[in-house]
Amino acid sequence: MDRSYKELLKMRRFPHTWCPGCGIGSVLKNVAMVLKELGWNDKDTVAISGIGCSGRMSGYMNLDAVHTPHGRALTAAETIKTVRPDLNVVVLSGDGDLASIGGNHLLHTSRRNPDITVFCNDNEIYGLTGGQAGPTTPKGTKTLTSPRGEPYLPLRIGRILTQQAPYFYARTTVYHLNHFKTCVREALLWKGFSFVDIISDCIELNGRRLGFKTAHQMFKWFDERFHIVEGVKDHLREDELGIAKAETEEVPKAKEEVKVKAEVSMEELKPFTLEELKTFDGADGRPIYIAYNGKIYDLSSSPLFQGDKRMRCHIAGKDLTRDIEIAPHGEDLVLKFPVVGRLK
Amino acid sequence: MKQLISGNGAIFQGAIRAGASYFAGYPISPTSEILQQAAQYAEENPEFRFLQAEDEIAAAIATISASLAGAKAFTATSGPGFSLMQEAIGWGHVVEAPCVFINSMRVGPSTGMPTQPAQADLLQIKAGSAGDYYPIAFYPNSVEESFRLTATAFNAAEESLSPVILLADAFLSHLYEMVDLERTEVEVLPRVKEPLGKGQRLFTGTAHDKMGNVKTSDPETYREWLWELKDRHHRVAEKYPLFEYSPSNKAETLLIAFGITSRIISPLKEKFSIFRPIRIYPVLEKALKEVTQPYRHVIVIEGNDGQYASWVEWATGRKVMRVPCLGGGFKLRRIQNQIEER
Repeated sequence: MDRSYKELLKMRRFPHTWCPGCGIGSVLKNVAMVLKELGWNDKDTVAISGIGCSGRMSGYMNLDAVHTPHGRALTAAETIKTVRPDLNVVVLSGDGDLASIGGNHLLHTSRRNPDITVFCNDNEIYGLTGGQAGPTTPKGTKTLTSPRGEPYLPLRIGRILTQQAPYFYARTTVYHLNHFKTCVREALLWKGFSFVDIISDCIELNGRRLGFKTAHQMFKWFDERFHIVEGVKDHLREDELGIAKAETEEVPKAKEEVKVKAEVSMEELKPFTLEELKTFDGADGRPIYIAYNGKIYDLSSSPLFQGDKRMRCHIAGKDLTRDIEIAPHGEDLVLKFPVVGRLK
Repeated sequence: MKQLISGNGAIFQGAIRAGASYFAGYPISPTSEILQQAAQYAEENPEFRFLQAEDEIAAAIATISASLAGAKAFTATSGPGFSLMQEAIGWGHVVEAPCVFINSMRVGPSTGMPTQPAQADLLQIKAGSAGDYYPIAFYPNSVEESFRLTATAFNAAEESLSPVILLADAFLSHLYEMVDLERTEVEVLPRVKEPLGKGQRLFTGTAHDKMGNVKTSDPETYREWLWELKDRHHRVAEKYPLFEYSPSNKAETLLIAFGITSRIISPLKEKFSIFRPIRIYPVLEKALKEVTQPYRHVIVIEGNDGQYASWVEWATGRKVMRVPCLGGGFKLRRIQNQIEER
């Protein structure tokens, strides 16, 4: 087996600081392996981290590494790429760091789309500080700060990022290793802001509280929770592992041209009496008709009338000519609706 | 050629003269003009990089990061933004990133009085971030001096390998004066620190040894690091013992004022001796001791409730009188009345 990736790790500093069974080791190793395969080295690559267990990753890389204050890894990475476009910039950090305290920077750095790659060790917990609920902790999970179960839904980083344009968002786990390496490679080669959400395990400070005995049991849980989807998607559902990307901003759909309706002469319109008109009052799913200046208009699609036969002071199924003349709005509010008949 | 230029304009030009190639900032009164000029300058000079950040936290982190990447970087803000930048300033001292933070003071705390000048962030420059650190801070009192001191701040940053703070106030930022910047000579020191991409170093805010190995439970390493930092900063500060002293014959009272306050009280220089510290921190201990010694009374006039006065008391070991100019009210008549009341 090729072990040359170890050149990218500070082996003199091993054994590392993480607990046995932690997923961060796997993240570090696989990122190092792909970097080595791509031939990136300490002269052209820098690693940036934030704070937390995962924030210690950059310190174990045999690269120039920057260990920023909590949450600021993305800003630092973006700036370094701006000042030194010749460097490859890799961010190795965690979900709490990137999505909670660094949430504002996540929004804005991804918006500015610098050519950096972010690897987020997403273990759904604040591990270093002892196991408090994080931004990605699933609803109902018991942690030190949510003893009755986390009351809120988790932050969906994927949904946020895939609303930006262009975007690259991949979700994978430390269990699906081949898929993981594919995502890492694709993200590193992506021109622009790329984000790999690596679902990882924290057995000591999260898993045991959830009832798992070993890291392996957590891996099997990932296998049950997630499945890999092939090909490139626009968006990933919460149980899907895969890559969602878009190279350009979606072109907004051309507005549908409004067809100019040919004027219909009064004589061709279907005649209604006031009595007949009264039945079209919107009740029981009947359409909403009103009369104005001798014409009958179908207001069923009006949001102001929907589900109710009355809209403020106007009543469906009536001649509203006088009402509209004294109303604060003009007649254009009525004229945009289709004409269905005339008043006898 | 002489030109009419504002304090903010002179600060920006001073940074450019010192070789700055990166600016990050966030709009705030009264330094928005520096941000605007940086944006304009970046349009015309592609080698100059500019970021309008999402907040001052990001602006400050970007400034430090740009410095690590090899650029001479600076940012400008006012009190409330400076509060947000404290985290990065602490970080900058630990990762040894030379850069300049400009803080044009307005009335605080919090949003305070955004358009009114104050001088109340002195304690914030010294102790705004967590832990012990020894920032160097300068405070000019004219447009021309703003230009020169900005360059000096960049030099001190390169020497001390740390963020250096240039103070101003809302008054000075928007003060227009005729200055010949082209003829104004300033010394410019080159960047010595190796930029990123040269090896296998770790730049961390966590306590570490000289090799960059994280040492989070080793008091010996920490002490060694802190004494080295303190020593380096005081050595650099010693190179810039900047102050202005204008003694008056037979005066029994010494007025101490700095920044815009020293300009406002300048008509009193016949009647009183005036001492103006330019290096605000580290405190000019030796100069203060010597200068205050012959006077019966020492009065500190400043735009806050006695922040510098307490430093003067600490440095000289004697009680001084305080004349605070609060809420942006810097009026000579008021100051005179307050002096006479004492």
